[in-house]
Amino acid sequence: MVILKIAWRNIWRNKVRSLVVITAIALGLWAGTFASGFYEGMIDQKIEDVINNEYAHFQVHDSLFREELLLMKNIKGHQAIVDALAADDSVKAFTSRTIISGMFASSRKTGALRLLGIDPTSEAAVTGLDQRLIDGAYFEGIKRNPILISKKTAETYGLDLRNKVVVTAQDAEGEIVAASFRVVGIFSSNNGMFDGMNAYVLATDVQRMLSLSDDHYHEIAVMLKENGLAESYAEKYAKRFPEQEVLPWLDLAMGMRYMVEASGTFSFVIVAIILFALLFSIVNTMLMAVMERTREIGMLKAVGLSRGRVFAMIMIETLLLSMVGAPIGMFATYLMIQRTGEVGIDLGEIGETYSDLGFSAVVYPSLDLQTYFSIGIMVLFMALIAALYPALKAVRLNASEAIRKI
Amino acid sequence: MKQLVIETKQLSKTYEGVVPVHAVNEVDLEIENNEFTAIVGPSGSGKTTLLNMIGGLDRPTSGGVKVNGHELSGMNENELIDFRLKHIGFVFQSYNLIPVLTAKENTEFIMLLQKIDKKIRDERVEKLLHEVGLGEKMNSRPAQLSGGQQQRVAVARALASKPDFVLADEPTANLDSHSTANLLDIMARLNQEEGITFVFSTHDQRVIDRARRVITLVDGKIESDERR
Ligand SMILES: Nc1ncnc2c1ncn2[C@@H]1O[C@H](COP(=O)(O)OP(=O)(O)OP(=O)(O)O)[C@@H](O)[C@H]1O
Ligand SMILES: [Mg+2]
Repeated sequence: MVILKIAWRNIWRNKVRSLVVITAIALGLWAGTFASGFYEGMIDQKIEDVINNEYAHFQVHDSLFREELLLMKNIKGHQAIVDALAADDSVKAFTSRTIISGMFASSRKTGALRLLGIDPTSEAAVTGLDQRLIDGAYFEGIKRNPILISKKTAETYGLDLRNKVVVTAQDAEGEIVAASFRVVGIFSSNNGMFDGMNAYVLATDVQRMLSLSDDHYHEIAVMLKENGLAESYAEKYAKRFPEQEVLPWLDLAMGMRYMVEASGTFSFVIVAIILFALLFSIVNTMLMAVMERTREIGMLKAVGLSRGRVFAMIMIETLLLSMVGAPIGMFATYLMIQRTGEVGIDLGEIGETYSDLGFSAVVYPSLDLQTYFSIGIMVLFMALIAALYPALKAVRLNASEAIRKI
Repeated sequence: MKQLVIETKQLSKTYEGVVPVHAVNEVDLEIENNEFTAIVGPSGSGKTTLLNMIGGLDRPTSGGVKVNGHELSGMNENELIDFRLKHIGFVFQSYNLIPVLTAKENTEFIMLLQKIDKKIRDERVEKLLHEVGLGEKMNSRPAQLSGGQQQRVAVARALASKPDFVLADEPTANLDSHSTANLLDIMARLNQEEGITFVFSTHDQRVIDRARRVITLVDGKIESDERR
């Protein structure tokens, strides 16, 4: 106990120096923890986006469709799958799409675009597409061939509501067919890249345009009642319909599985790097403290402070020094993450770049308590390592030589 | 009752170097309890080296030291530290005290390390600090005390564990004449009234005059040993 008292008071002997270290630790942890929270928030939101706005929990395709994107690689036995999904209690909603690639021409510009032929009602239930409308109406008001384009497409092709576009595509026989569509609404999602490449039309219009049967679908997107079920249910349906490819969102979105798995490591890597840098400043400070106190430590050993106690004294002092700053930094981060997690951080200009990569331009940082706890353990561990060398230095100090300097 | 507290036999310490220095050279010395002994001699004569070996801080090159019948050379580092804690009181020239502890806490410190009961600790600290005339300064930190007061706290601290004897290497070297006289008064009184054995080194003639036994070292050898 007396050792603890001495160690604690020793920290405050050189107030400025200790405060510098404490501040460095607090700031370092604040930066590291907040960066982790920021990144985790970004990933969480990306996951939410990928599930709720893009892929749903899992999708069914013909096993070659995603690779070849051919019109005739449609889902065989579509009705059986749909029946199974409709009877499944864990399925919240599902929707089928007919997908074609074609040339998209406005009066200003011609380019390639993917047309997603959808059923507006079930699509809205699965992806909430109707919620992302920023102008016009959700497939209402235009009877013949309505099309929903993104804000981005509207800008690049110089289109406005009710404007006409011509879509050209190949039908099953390889014949070129064209049809005109009229802009019924404009949407915008968090994913700029997706927006730039896709437009929504009615599945029935696509089927009619290319003379396809009315059960010609390429994709079924399924929303479950819980995120956690995605992988096991994808597997379950893959077994049940072995002819088709059934994949969960983690494997549908490019790089997603890697990103989700790496996100856990990211926090630790960034905090570890910061702690590693802090380690040196702590070692340096404590070495200076030991050097300055050579005579005092020599005296203590001379009068009977055992080596174990000398070691403990320096260890405790280092731990205390490290542990004062850590909670301050982490608590500051906690408050900040709570606050920004609610209001979000608008990345502004830079945000648009992120948006093209499929990240939201407004980030809501979040960090689970488990991570705070782990970071705390890491700090403790770092402090123990930092304490080791100065403490050994103090233990090795020769008492008689030290007091001769008196 | 007379009892041998310190006994050295052919005690030598040689510092190797280009020219080896025989800092202490085959010293035979016996000190009994209740003695009040000054080790004197010119600078470099080996006073500190001798005291450090007696106190178990330095190891002899040859010969041996016995404290109260315990041979120090047989002990390892940890045993020596423990032995010092329990049997020897130290007063150094300066830096005797832990700067972050008060006079009371400094005096108590050694007893805490020995795990002595709080009640006994409190009593003894009270008594010792009063004996060295610092009853009023119990809660002052070293920086708030004069050099003489700090040395008196050091004496109280040295006595706290009831050691077999107190070793003091030039305890008055940094003190003015008034504080020197004051410290010597206290040491002499503790010696006479409580039978505490003191061994101290000094350069100071006024301190030498107060000793009851004066051992003079020259070039690491005892040149004279007079009792008075
Ligand atoms: N670590 C060392 N290495 C080499 N020589 C040393 C060492 N310590 C002491 N000496 C030498 O040993 C001799 C005795 O030194 P010591 O310090 O014991 O003398 P002293 O009588 O205490 O002197 P002073 O009155 O100046 O304190 C001196 O010649 C000194 O230079
Ligand atoms: Mg000396």
